[in-house]
Amino acid sequence: MLPSHSSSVPTSVLIVEDEPELLHRFSTALLAEEGLHLLAAVSTGAAALAVLASGAPDLILLDLGLPDIDGIAIIRHVMQHCPDCDVLVVTMFGDDDHVFDALEAGATGYLLKDAGLDRIAASIRELRDGGAPISPSIARRVLARLRTATPAGASPGQDPAPSVLTQREIELLKLTAKGLSFDKVGELLGISPHTVVAHVKKIYRKLAVHSRAEAVYEATQMGLL
Amino acid sequence: MRTWRLCGALLACATALLVWLTAVPPQGDAILELRHALALPSDALTPPPPGPDWRATPLPASRPALPGDATHAVWLRMTFDLARTRDDFQAVLLPYLYGGGQVWLDGVLVGEIPVSSAIMHVRWERPHLMVLPRSLVRAGPHALCIRASAVEGETALHLPAPRVGPLAQLRAQYDMRYFWMHTMPEMTVGACLVATLLVLLIWSRLPEEVLYGWFGIAALMWGIRTLTFVMETVSSDRWQWWRLLYLASTGGFIVVLALFVGRLGGMHDRRIERALLAYWALGPAWRLVQGIDSDEFVNRLWLAGQIPIAIGVVVVAAITAWRQRTVLSLVLPGALAVATCAGIHDYLIVWKPALLARVLPEWAGQRYFLLHYGADLVLVAMGVLLCSRFVHSVRALRVLNETLESRIADRERILALNFERMAELERTNAAATERKLIMREIHDGLGSKLFTSLSRVERGAMDKAEMASSLRSCIADMRLALEALAPDDHDLQVAFGDFMFRWQAELQASAVHCTWTVDIPADTLQLGPHATLQVLRIAQEALTNVVKHAGASAVALSLAVHDRQLTLRIEDDGAGIPVQSLPGGRGIRNMVGRAQQLGGALRVERGQERGTVVTFRLALAA
Repeated sequence: MLPSHSSSVPTSVLIVEDEPELLHRFSTALLAEEGLHLLAAVSTGAAALAVLASGAPDLILLDLGLPDIDGIAIIRHVMQHCPDCDVLVVTMFGDDDHVFDALEAGATGYLLKDAGLDRIAASIRELRDGGAPISPSIARRVLARLRTATPAGASPGQDPAPSVLTQREIELLKLTAKGLSFDKVGELLGISPHTVVAHVKKIYRKLAVHSRAEAVYEATQMGLL
Repeated sequence: MRTWRLCGALLACATALLVWLTAVPPQGDAILELRHALALPSDALTPPPPGPDWRATPLPASRPALPGDATHAVWLRMTFDLARTRDDFQAVLLPYLYGGGQVWLDGVLVGEIPVSSAIMHVRWERPHLMVLPRSLVRAGPHALCIRASAVEGETALHLPAPRVGPLAQLRAQYDMRYFWMHTMPEMTVGACLVATLLVLLIWSRLPEEVLYGWFGIAALMWGIRTLTFVMETVSSDRWQWWRLLYLASTGGFIVVLALFVGRLGGMHDRRIERALLAYWALGPAWRLVQGIDSDEFVNRLWLAGQIPIAIGVVVVAAITAWRQRTVLSLVLPGALAVATCAGIHDYLIVWKPALLARVLPEWAGQRYFLLHYGADLVLVAMGVLLCSRFVHSVRALRVLNETLESRIADRERILALNFERMAELERTNAAATERKLIMREIHDGLGSKLFTSLSRVERGAMDKAEMASSLRSCIADMRLALEALAPDDHDLQVAFGDFMFRWQAELQASAVHCTWTVDIPADTLQLGPHATLQVLRIAQEALTNVVKHAGASAVALSLAVHDRQLTLRIEDDGAGIPVQSLPGGRGIRNMVGRAQQLGGALRVERGQERGTVVTFRLALAA
C-alpha cells in the first residue's frame, strides 16, 4: 500500500460546498498545501457535474446538503464515471446516518466541517495514501451490513458462499466497534496502523460494491432493469 | 354415530334372541293336554275315591281360596288313553303349580312338589316335569290325579291343564317355560344389581346428577322385587318380611320411576317429590304398624294407589316426548306404553282370565306374566336415556373445553399484546424523560454559553481567539448531545469510542498524544442517553482542560466497569492543577455537579509526579 500519488504528481481536488464561508476555508486549506491541486471549487451540484464532465479529479470534497442535487446522487455519479476518484464527504456532526449512506454510495472518508486547516489537508492526504478513518459506530454498522453478505453475483439458493469480508476484516471491524484506537487494533492484529486504515478503505469499497450489486439485484427483482 | 350403530346391533341381536326363545316349540303330536277334570276340594293326602262330590271342571281354571276356607287343597282327577306302548319315557308337565302338591298315576304316587309347611313357605314360579315310571305306562286308559295346594296367604288357587307325553317333547316345553319363569328373573336380578352398583357409583361421585340416583334406585327396587320371585322357598318366619320387601320394592319402583320421569321432563317439584316418597314409605310402615302377618289392606289400598302414580308417569313421559319431539324422547314413553299393556295383560290373566281366553284361548291358560319384561324394558329405556345424556354431556364438555381453550388463547394473545403495548409505552415514556433531560441540558448548557458569548462579543469583550474557542466548545457540546441521542443503541462503549475517535484528531492537532482503554464486560452496561451524555461531558471537560491549561504532551483515558462500578479516569502529564484552585474553577465545578447529578463522585487531584488525574466513579444499578 505504498502511496502512488503523493510525491510527484499533485492530487487534483474538486470542492463542492454551497456555504461560501466553508468553500473559502477549504480552498484556503488546499491552496496552502503542497502536493494538492485545486481543480475547481463550486457551490452547486450542477456545477460539480459540469466539472466532472470535463475531467475527473483525483478527489472530491463534497458537502452532502447541496441546494440542487442530493449529495448521495453525486457520489453515485462519480462512482459510475470515474471509479478511481476518492470522495471525502463533509459533514456537520459526523452523524451515522448521513455518513453511512455516503459510504454505501461510494465515499471513502468523511470530514467534519469545523476541522482545522491542517486537519483538512491531512485527511485528504491520508485518503490518497490509501487509508480511511472509521468510527466505532460506523464500524458496527458496516459489520452488521456485510458480515452475512455474500459476494455480488452469488444468487440465493447456492451453497453458502464466503462472506464479502475476510476473517481479518471482520476482526478489525469488531475491534474498532469496541472503541479501540487504530494503534490498539493494529497492535492486536499484528499490523501497522497504516495497514489498518488501508483495510478500512478496502472495506468501504466492498460496502459500496455490495450495495450497488444489491440495488441492481433488487431492481431486477422488481422488473426495473 | 358408532355408539348408536353398536346399540342398534345389540338391540337387533336381543330381539332376534327373544323371538327365537319365545317361538313356541312345535306342539308334539304325541302330547295330550288334559283340559277336562273332575275336581274335589279336599286336604286328603291320597286321592279320594270317586264319588258324587267330584265336579267336572274345565282346565285350566282358577278358584277362590280364601284364608277362611276349611280346605287348602283341591284334588283333580283326569283320564286319558295311551294308544300303544311307547319305548321312550313318558312324563307329565305341569306348567305351574304355585302351591305345590302331588301327582298320582293309576293310584301310584309319581311325583311330589313340596307344599308350605310350618317351617317353610313356598311359591313355585317354575313349571314341574315328572317322569312316569315305565312300569306304569302301558297302552290303555289311565287315571291321573293331582293334588293342588293353594299358596299360603293367596286368595286364588290356580289349576293348570296338565300335559302328558313323551319326555323329549315335554322337556322342550318345560325348558322354555323354565327359562322365562326362572332363569330370566335370575338374570334380571343380576343385571339390576350390576346396573345399580355402577350407576350409584357414578351418582356418588356426581351427586348433582339426580337422574342417575333415581335410575340406580329404580334398578335396585326392581332387582329386589324380582328376587322375591326367584326365591321360591323361604322359611316361614321370614316369609312376611319377604312379603314386606316385595311390597316396598314394588311401590318403590313405581314411585322412583315417577321421580325419574319428572326430573327427566323438567317437571319436578320438591313438594310432589316429597309427597311421593312419603307415600312410598307409608305402605311398608302401615303394614308394620298393622301387624306383619296381614297385608290385605295394604295390598288392596296402598298398591291400588300406585295406579294413579303409574298413570301420571305415563302422562308426564308423553308430555316430555311431545315437548322434545326427538326420537330419543320417544324411547321412555314407548317402553312405558309396552309396560302398561303388559300390566293390563297380567291384570286380565289374574282377574279376568275368561276375557283374555276369549281372545287368546291358548295363551291365557299358560299364565305368562309379561309385566316383568315390560319393566325390564322400561329399565333398559331409562338406561339408554342416561347413556345418551352421558354421551351428550361428555361431548358438550369437550366442545366447552375447546371453546375455553380458544378463548384462553385469545385472552393470552390480548394480554401479550397489552404487555407489549405497556412495554412500548414505558419505553416511550423513558425516551421522553431522557429527551426532556437532554433538552434541558442543551437549554442550560449550550444556550447559556451562546448567550454569554453573544453578550460578550456585542460589548467587544471577546477577542477572536476567545470567540473561536467559545464557538468550538458550543459545537462540541452539540456533537455530544447528538452522539448521546443516536437512535440505535445507547451503548456507552460505542459512544465513548466515537467520542475518542473524534477527539483523537483534535488532540493530535494540539500535539497531545492520546491513548485510551475500554474495559467493559460485554453487555453489562445499560446507561441511558442522558447518563451517557453526562459521562462524555465529564470526559470532554477534562480533555478541554488538558488542551487549554495543562500544557501536557500525553493524556491517557480509561473507562472500566468492575463490580457494577463505572470508573472513568483521565490522566495527563501536564503542569498539574494549582493546589489553590483545587476546590474548583468553573470547569471543575461543572464536572462535580454533573457527577453528583448522576449519583456518582468526581475527584480532581494532582498526579504523583506531575499532571492532573480526574477520576469519576458511578455505582450502577443492579
